[in-house]
Amino acid sequence: MLLKAFFPTCCSSVDSGLLVGRWVPEQSSAVVLAVLHFPFIPAQVKELLVQVQRASRVGMAVLGTWCHSQQEPEEPLGHFLEGLGTIFPHDPWLQLCRERGSKSWSCKVSCQQAPAALGVPCEDQVMLIFYDQRKVLLSRLHPSAVLPDHQAGDAPASTRGLAAVFDTVARSKELFRSNQFNEGPVRLSHWQSEGVEASILVELAKWASGPVCLLLACLLSLVSAASTCRVFRLWPLSFIGSKLSTCEQLRHRLEHLTLVFSTQKAESPAQLMRKANMLVSVLLDVALGLSLLSWLHGKNRIGQLADALVPVADHVAKELQHLLQWLMGAPAGLKMNRALDQVLGRFFLYHIHLWISYIHLMSPFIECILWHVGLSACLGLTVALSILSDIIALLTFHIYCFYVYGARLYCLKIYGLSSLWRLFRGKKWNVLRQRVDSCSYDLDQLFIGTLLFTILLFLLPTTALYYLVFTLLRLLVVTVQGLIHLLVELINSLPLYSLGLRLCRPYRLAAGVKFCILEHEAGRPLRLLMQINPLPYTRVVHTYRLPSCGCHPKHSWGSLCRKLFFGELIYPWRQRGDKQD
Amino acid sequence: MACRGGGGHGQPPSATLFRVSPGNLSTRRTLTHNICMVSDFFYPNMGGVESHIYQLSQCLIERGHKVIIVTHAYGNRKGIRYLTNGLKVYYLPLKVMYNQSTATTLFHSLPLLRYIFVRERVTIIHSHSSFSAMAHDALFHAKTMGLQTVFTDHSLFGFADVSSVLTNKLLTVSLCDTNHIICVSYTSKENTVLRAALNPEIVSVIPNAVDPTDFTPDPFRRHDSVITIVVVSRLVYRKGTDLLSGIIPEICQKYPDLNFIIGGEGPKRIILEEVRERYQLQDRVLLLGALEHKDVRNVLVQGHIFLNTSLTEAFCMAIVEAASCGLQVVSTRVGGIPEVLPENLIILCEPSVKSLCEGLEKAIFQLKSGALPAPENIHNIVKTFYTWRNVAERTEKVYDRVAGEAVLPMDKRLDRLISHCGPVTGYIFALLAVFDFLFLIFLRWMTPDSLIDVAVDATGPRGAWTHQCPHRIKRREKNKMFKAR
Amino acid sequence: MCAQPVTDTKEAKWQKVLYERQPFPDNYVDRRFLEELRKNIYARKYQYWAVVFESSVVIQQLCSVCVFVVIWWYMDEGLLAPHWLFGTGLASSLIGYVLFDLIDRGEGRKKSGRTRWADLKSALVFITFTYGFSPVLKTLTESVSTDTIYAMSVFMLLGHLIFFDYGANAAIVSSTLSLNMAIFASVCLASRLPRSLHAFVMVTFAIQIFALWPMLQKKLKACTPRSYVGVTLLFAFSALGGLLSISAVGAILFALLLVSISCLCPFYLIRLQLFKENIHGPWDEAEIKEDLSRFLS
Repeated sequence: MLLKAFFPTCCSSVDSGLLVGRWVPEQSSAVVLAVLHFPFIPAQVKELLVQVQRASRVGMAVLGTWCHSQQEPEEPLGHFLEGLGTIFPHDPWLQLCRERGSKSWSCKVSCQQAPAALGVPCEDQVMLIFYDQRKVLLSRLHPSAVLPDHQAGDAPASTRGLAAVFDTVARSKELFRSNQFNEGPVRLSHWQSEGVEASILVELAKWASGPVCLLLACLLSLVSAASTCRVFRLWPLSFIGSKLSTCEQLRHRLEHLTLVFSTQKAESPAQLMRKANMLVSVLLDVALGLSLLSWLHGKNRIGQLADALVPVADHVAKELQHLLQWLMGAPAGLKMNRALDQVLGRFFLYHIHLWISYIHLMSPFIECILWHVGLSACLGLTVALSILSDIIALLTFHIYCFYVYGARLYCLKIYGLSSLWRLFRGKKWNVLRQRVDSCSYDLDQLFIGTLLFTILLFLLPTTALYYLVFTLLRLLVVTVQGLIHLLVELINSLPLYSLGLRLCRPYRLAAGVKFCILEHEAGRPLRLLMQINPLPYTRVVHTYRLPSCGCHPKHSWGSLCRKLFFGELIYPWRQRGDKQD
Repeated sequence: MACRGGGGHGQPPSATLFRVSPGNLSTRRTLTHNICMVSDFFYPNMGGVESHIYQLSQCLIERGHKVIIVTHAYGNRKGIRYLTNGLKVYYLPLKVMYNQSTATTLFHSLPLLRYIFVRERVTIIHSHSSFSAMAHDALFHAKTMGLQTVFTDHSLFGFADVSSVLTNKLLTVSLCDTNHIICVSYTSKENTVLRAALNPEIVSVIPNAVDPTDFTPDPFRRHDSVITIVVVSRLVYRKGTDLLSGIIPEICQKYPDLNFIIGGEGPKRIILEEVRERYQLQDRVLLLGALEHKDVRNVLVQGHIFLNTSLTEAFCMAIVEAASCGLQVVSTRVGGIPEVLPENLIILCEPSVKSLCEGLEKAIFQLKSGALPAPENIHNIVKTFYTWRNVAERTEKVYDRVAGEAVLPMDKRLDRLISHCGPVTGYIFALLAVFDFLFLIFLRWMTPDSLIDVAVDATGPRGAWTHQCPHRIKRREKNKMFKAR
Repeated sequence: MCAQPVTDTKEAKWQKVLYERQPFPDNYVDRRFLEELRKNIYARKYQYWAVVFESSVVIQQLCSVCVFVVIWWYMDEGLLAPHWLFGTGLASSLIGYVLFDLIDRGEGRKKSGRTRWADLKSALVFITFTYGFSPVLKTLTESVSTDTIYAMSVFMLLGHLIFFDYGANAAIVSSTLSLNMAIFASVCLASRLPRSLHAFVMVTFAIQIFALWPMLQKKLKACTPRSYVGVTLLFAFSALGGLLSISAVGAILFALLLVSISCLCPFYLIRLQLFKENIHGPWDEAEIKEDLSRFLS
């Protein structure tokens, strides 16, 4: 059976000693974590191993010997090393040798229980795999089996083996920690982290973060307690709160912050990553918001904006008036029912009139309102954008009203026509059985039904045209709001920290490994170098995406068209009865 | 493809090789055939034709023939599948048009079918059901390729309306140069001979069969305090569901200790529901909805009397199944039904509510007076009537006879089409036959027969399918798994 | 081969059964092959005058449509005052109503259990709704082109004639759909009339001629066939006369149509029976001869 020995590159030039690591019997691979140097006392070594094993919950063992001959090969040392096998019994006993001058390596494996014939070292059955201990230690393998879109072509056993290796190395952190400054009784050789000064700063930050978190968490809990206060549960407030995207965004951010500053420790690396992502996203958001604030409040931009806003609203209303007048004529040469056309047109014109007077009533206060609203940008760009979205919604309230009237009228007609069409054919809808049954109607029922059917049929084009025009306007507004929402969502859910990590430290997020052949000669063990494949960006985003706000509906195109056709109302927020599709 | 890895024999098999029968089978058979069953109707669709094809194929495999089945893809079920005993089924990617029958342009199926016929070294094409467009296509292409053809007709047609006039014309064309036709009853034979203007000598009557071990009586399952009448059929007009809707209130009003169990689904289910509601029979008329074939027996054994109200029926497996379960059968006297069961096992009535009610009353009277034989006795009589082995034996004789016939050359075939099918239709289809032939020549030029891989036989004299060889099965499963992705 | 080596073929008699193994090959053709074949067993012998009498239902319906169109034309041209038409319609409806009960001496009414109060209510509903909606009807189609309206009306009246219940038992027949199409056509046509009173009278007239008149006809035909023939003839001639006053060519064509339907078509039907060659046998799909709808109603 092929035996794989994973050997850290940093140990390839250290003095001879014992190989300490873990034996993974399922993959028949030996993961060497460190080299233990002479001299040592076996009892101390065993104690150390037990200690590390308890801390890291990984079965540590002495796997074999490492022989780096500095000078001419010394016979006694070789024998001594062989003899060690009896002190530290391990089943496949590895004997790694490196000769100084020639960069040649040799490796022997001996099995103690097996008969002598099998104990003969056969070098082509051993594969030496070098790995960068630091990178493997810090990286996090993303299991390909978990992701369904990943190709299941390669055998899953190999990924599991790889995961075991990564796991072993990651858990061996205890080994390094206990032996950080070489102060223990035994001398180990493995990867050492440099930059102790920097780590002091880190320690300080860690020490300080606790109280800061506690303080902020207290503040946040106060805010959230205030927001759940009874007053906000009353009908109009709760309704408005659920419909305004600003409120939703604030609630969402509050959740983020409480999670980030919660005093509990992150349990898994994924959770840690999530916290970091949230923190970075909030920080970026606030930074962008502050820059927007400074831009807005300099050079009287608010005033300019307010001056521009009223004429724009006025202009929109004027355009609408023109549109209605066009509809009241013979729009695009279509033949509409004149009477109904006039009634609808006048109704809508009156609405616009009301709207314009409202805008004019509001105009003196707009600058003041805008100035105060602008302050909210210090809470973050997303909040400012949400407020913008809400302002658009408020300013186009007349369009919304028209849309609702048109849609209700159209919906009523469509449903009336569909049921009268059934009557026309002598059928009826059986509610209990959910199907169309044949039915014998009375003469007067038939007559009135057909009369209404005819009237509705001839009036349908007029209503449909009004509905169509106002639906298009409404869709325009919804699209603008949707774009703003998309931007907010992007800032909210983009895992910026993970992306930055991927950019600067690609090995931290591993998708798998690749092997380079270092040496492949007959009679010598195959030597491979294991390198880490970084996770692609798309999968980084996919894996670490923060949960979105979730207050907006996700219509499929088919259901959207169906709703539009039947005149059902389309809202940019989620309805109670909405199905998720 | 799927089983290329499964075979081990080196020499390329040729068509002549199959005439040489291996030693172990020579005691039973001297001649084995490579048969290709073609029909649009096959599992997972369920019905009489489907089970006929399956059971016949199994018995033919048992007798040492190589059998493959060609049908169209059913949803996700496409490609090649192996069923019990290595029965190989090709699910071809053809578009379904109506009622599970494929759309036909007469040409588009030629490349696929030719490929299959060549790579499987098929010698006899056996098409099933006149409703299946693919079956007719296969007959047409097989004749162009010079293969022997057999057709089994499972249904009856009238001559009265426009649609049957048209379908009968098409059947005339399709069967004009088919070597042999099999009908499931004498009435069906008369019908087919008239419809397709055939020589009655080339039409054999081989009835359907039922597996008697699947339909055994179980008198303990039925309650003798009430009489239960069972109906198992699709609820469509042709099965006489309208008659049933008249019988139920009549009989239920007359006999208070009587229940109906109705199995099956269909567009006419509504009228049964309406009748049940109108006469307040919800606790006495049980509508089971669609039944799977394996559940039919469990429904049948709950009843005393089986009622069949079909308006037309070529053979009617349902009454044989019911009789095999020991039920007294009451049926309409239509189609081939009078030929199916002897008079002491069936009460035949006219297709009217009155006559069927009288028949039912007679059966109820017999039941109450104890004049009916015990279910076990009925089963013992019926189980000797129809067996698939017998069907396979008789079908085999047809194959033997067909294999000895000469294939009509192209010019003779055109002559026959023109002389046999009338002036207009004849010329049109002769032209189509020429086009088909040209298309075939083009295909042979594109991929010569010699370049088409020969499939490893799963069944037949060189069948690679054995149960003693687990690694092969494993490999096949692996292949299947691979295909499933 | 199919022929089994059988020695006693001569002695054994072939039976048309499947459950017995018979000493004959499977493709054996007996003398009794096709002996159950029958031809033309369902061919009916038609009496010429009986067919002509039955065709009068079609004549009646054609004439109804014709009369309706003629009256509409008169109204549209202003030749007919709406008051006059309304009065005549009301009077004839009353006469018809009395006749309806007199013919079978109130038996039909007893059977259906319909009270006079219900009749009055229906009449009130008709009148009120039509009167209430007539201004709407008037302006309903004014922006739609006249040709469209005519095309629609022709289409609907044709549909009315096609789906009308002439007494044939076919799937296409739907008296509800037929009546609805006629009302739709009448509303379309009424909306082209000059004033809303015209529209109201037109729709009322449509109800009378398309809904009430066929009911009376059916009863007449069942109870007094002689008077029915007389009424039909009278109706046909009045329709022809009305049409003649509008267009002579139209009247001639319509007369030809009526004659061909009532005289030529029956003749042709009887002649064609001679060429009938219908094959019947045990394979035929059985026909359900009973009326099964009685179990459901």
